Amino acid sequence: MSFDWKTYQPLLIPNIPGLADIKVYEQHGGYVQYKKVLGDQTTWTPEAVTNEVKSSGLRGRGGAGFNTGLKWSFMPKPDGGPRYIAANGDESEPGTFKDRTIFEFNPHSFIEGALIAAYAMRITAVYVYIRGEYRSWIRMMEKAIADAYAAGHIGKNIHGSGFSTDMYVHSGAGAYICGEESSLMESLEGKRGYPRVKPPFPAQRGLWGRPTTINNIETLANVPLILRIGAEAYSQIGAKTHPGPLLYGISGHVNKPGVYEFPSGMPIETLIHEVCGGVKGGKKVKAVIPGGSSTPPLRGDQLAGVCMDSDSLRTAGSMLGTAGMVVMDEDTDLVDVLTRIAHFYHHESCGQCTPCREGTGWLEKTLKKIRRGDGTPRDLELLLDICTQMEGRTICALADAAAWPVRYTITRFREDFEARVKTPVHAHA
Amino acid sequence: MAEIFIDNKRFEYDQPTKVLQFILDQGLDLPHFCYHPALSIPANCRQCYVEAGLPVFDREKNAYELDANGDRVIRWFPKLQTACSLDATDGMVIKTHVTSELVRRGQKDVLEFILINHPLDCPICDQAGECPLQEQTYKYGPEGSRFEHKKVHKPKRIQLGPRVVLDAERCINCTRCVRFTQEISKTHQLTIVQRGDNNYPMTAPGHVFDDPYSMNTVDICPVGALTASDFRFKARVWEMASTPSIDLTNGKGCSVDLWTRDNLVLRITPRFNPAVNGHWMPDSGRAAFATLNHDRVDKPLVRLDGEAIPTSWNNALLTFTERVTAANRIAVVGSPHASTEDNYVFKRFFEAAGKGAAVFVPHVIPGSGDGFLLSDDQAPNATGARLLGLAETQAAALAAEVTAADLVVVLNDDLVGRGVLRAEDLAGKTITFASNHNATTAAADLVVPVTNGAEHVGTYVNVDGRAQRTIPAKETSRTDRRLNLEMSSGRLDTFGTRFDNWVSDLNRIDCVPAWEFLTEASQELGTGLYYESARDVLAEIAARIDAFAGISYERMDDERGIALLATNETVSA
Repeated sequence: MSFDWKTYQPLLIPNIPGLADIKVYEQHGGYVQYKKVLGDQTTWTPEAVTNEVKSSGLRGRGGAGFNTGLKWSFMPKPDGGPRYIAANGDESEPGTFKDRTIFEFNPHSFIEGALIAAYAMRITAVYVYIRGEYRSWIRMMEKAIADAYAAGHIGKNIHGSGFSTDMYVHSGAGAYICGEESSLMESLEGKRGYPRVKPPFPAQRGLWGRPTTINNIETLANVPLILRIGAEAYSQIGAKTHPGPLLYGISGHVNKPGVYEFPSGMPIETLIHEVCGGVKGGKKVKAVIPGGSSTPPLRGDQLAGVCMDSDSLRTAGSMLGTAGMVVMDEDTDLVDVLTRIAHFYHHESCGQCTPCREGTGWLEKTLKKIRRGDGTPRDLELLLDICTQMEGRTICALADAAAWPVRYTITRFREDFEARVKTPVHAHA
Repeated sequence: MAEIFIDNKRFEYDQPTKVLQFILDQGLDLPHFCYHPALSIPANCRQCYVEAGLPVFDREKNAYELDANGDRVIRWFPKLQTACSLDATDGMVIKTHVTSELVRRGQKDVLEFILINHPLDCPICDQAGECPLQEQTYKYGPEGSRFEHKKVHKPKRIQLGPRVVLDAERCINCTRCVRFTQEISKTHQLTIVQRGDNNYPMTAPGHVFDDPYSMNTVDICPVGALTASDFRFKARVWEMASTPSIDLTNGKGCSVDLWTRDNLVLRITPRFNPAVNGHWMPDSGRAAFATLNHDRVDKPLVRLDGEAIPTSWNNALLTFTERVTAANRIAVVGSPHASTEDNYVFKRFFEAAGKGAAVFVPHVIPGSGDGFLLSDDQAPNATGARLLGLAETQAAALAAEVTAADLVVVLNDDLVGRGVLRAEDLAGKTITFASNHNATTAAADLVVPVTNGAEHVGTYVNVDGRAQRTIPAKETSRTDRRLNLEMSSGRLDTFGTRFDNWVSDLNRIDCVPAWEFLTEASQELGTGLYYESARDVLAEIAARIDAFAGISYERMDDERGIALLATNETVSA
């Protein structure tokens, strides 16, 4: 790839000291796009804003990668009643920690993006749902929103435009499932975080039965950028089918882990060996989980030429997910890793649907048995069977998220598992 | 008329419907746990999987796309669908377990999952025998289990409230009970606590599940997780016979089933009747099973020197006729608690004897109703008594009449117990028909034991004017399950052998229907009333009283009761 990552100037988290302060943000062109839209509503009709976002090719950064503008266009015509955005900052998947950097370093880019989205969909209130464990970041966001209210960017008849909207922070209570959009809505309504059956989709019946759009924090933070540089220019950044700057959260056995902003489509090997300064102790890469713990892991010897965009990763047999990459060196035991991941999904299954409620526990118990050294080859086949019984059989995707790592870790790193299972005595007879 | 194809058979429908409900409506089988027709659809058990597809419609040709054989091209949904949440659409094609290996596999997989943490304690579980999980596992489940780990342990024997006990390990998290308290009884007393495979239903901390409709959750629980405090471990389902009947503790008259063994009613459960109670009934009506069995008047009683002495039926009959003949002025008190047949013969008897007109005192507690299945009226047949022409009276007027009379005859109504009369008003001049001992029988000179709703055929007209009837579920000393054609018969009546040592002569009460005793008394007095059976009585009512025209037991059975009043019409005395 000819792209020179060293000279890349970050767009989502620009290197400006104190940018989290609204004054600094405004000095550097903050809220200009928002005012531009509000000030010229004949050019920037809500539909025009939606179309601009749609044609920019921006895809959701929460994991599913759906075209954002297209999602906005599903909202029905306003009927005078309330309409909502639920901004999803519940990032709870192991390996994913990117939205935190937006809350911390550039909260107003998200607020501005959310307000533009609110204008484009005639939203009456934006709920910013942040995972409960992010106490400090919740406080930061509350301050940022209070500042934006004080500056007149949120409220009634904003900047004399006739447009009104509100924004609230809502804290989660420590459940991964509440990052799933429909259980996030249940949680916002004060109910138990159980995913809803679809249809009806949120755009028809969302929060309190009203039209609702759920967008990821990073997704909305991209919106001011699209309006600043134009959809055309935005669509040229990074990978063609998944354009724009992307926050890569890289963790694991690398020398310099952290959140890095680069265009989408960065080669995985460049990220590991150049950006993150290589694997600790100069060891080889054994496995990479590219986009959060639910995405299938790739073998270290499968990485050549694989880039962080949805097409390339699909070809390689995985998914972009949240671009929360976990790197594991050659000494890693994948049985341990998978047992830990299975424990997470067992612990986090909400328990609504039978296959997930029972399957996640069964996966963990069987993996623990293998880890103890009590497993048999039959258990490996059983694990794959349980995955088949879970995949695509539940209301939300948590069962898939629990099953895929098991299926692909076992099939791709089978030697690790075979080394741990006992061969029954009669097999030698 | 839209069409839908299920397992290659064509069906038509005109109302919007979910696929599962449609399949069940056709009398076909599809396993399910969480779905209940009266509750919202959570689609959480994932048991009712089907394959579903839609025909491809060519908009340009305005016709369905056809394949080389001339059949419609079907675009199949990529995943198995839960039929409960799937809307039927025109032309939809459904494959159930009958035709699809994938569906069979999917249903088996879910049952395997449900069973890995479900205790296999069917031999001691009350639900066994009427357990959807047990039945569907037999029909659709895997042969064995591949689960070789310790099951999840959860709280057991939790007294959720005064009437309901929870075994959380048996719970399969269908959330029917939670949805019932949210959507039907609206007390919101139950919720799911914990997460994942530790889930189970529970009340909020410090709260009890004292919902007046709490025991409906026991009925709709598809496993033995929720059991009734007063029934658990009492009987196996297959040892009991169930008899269609009605709730006689309230004017609403919910349709119920009486579950009996050895002539004891062991539990009362609601029977679906969309015109009265839907699928539900109040807990108070279920508690009545005890009064149907216990504290019964089991022999005629005469008072001698202030003491109630059991006596023979012959002596009771003679005493009754002598007292009636001797009396100059009789207070004739019918009952909103007695059947229409009893009230009718009671009224006719005293008319024929020329001894006065029957009255009755409604048993209404204002404000006690809840607008759902409990009305203010505590008696099952006030409307019936009114329609028969019994004069409605109140406490003060009745007390005056009783004082003026030299004989009071009361038809199975605890007038003293419910505060209409005082015991001293009745002392020395009272005859009562009664099925249970109470404050009125304690004050009476002669007590004639009569059957209750579990022992006789009787018509009761509820507050909305709906006539429903009871069917005998228990034998009395004078009836026999095998000879009484009105009696319901259970599985063991039909299929039992003499080795099924289940029928006992225990628990038979020596009593008769009031109309039967009064018929005998009329013969004795020569006043000309003669009825062979309750059917005779009802036939005469139907012939002589316009409001009851056309009524019959068969119609009441077939039509789930008969509306005697036009909507919003009320009868006043």
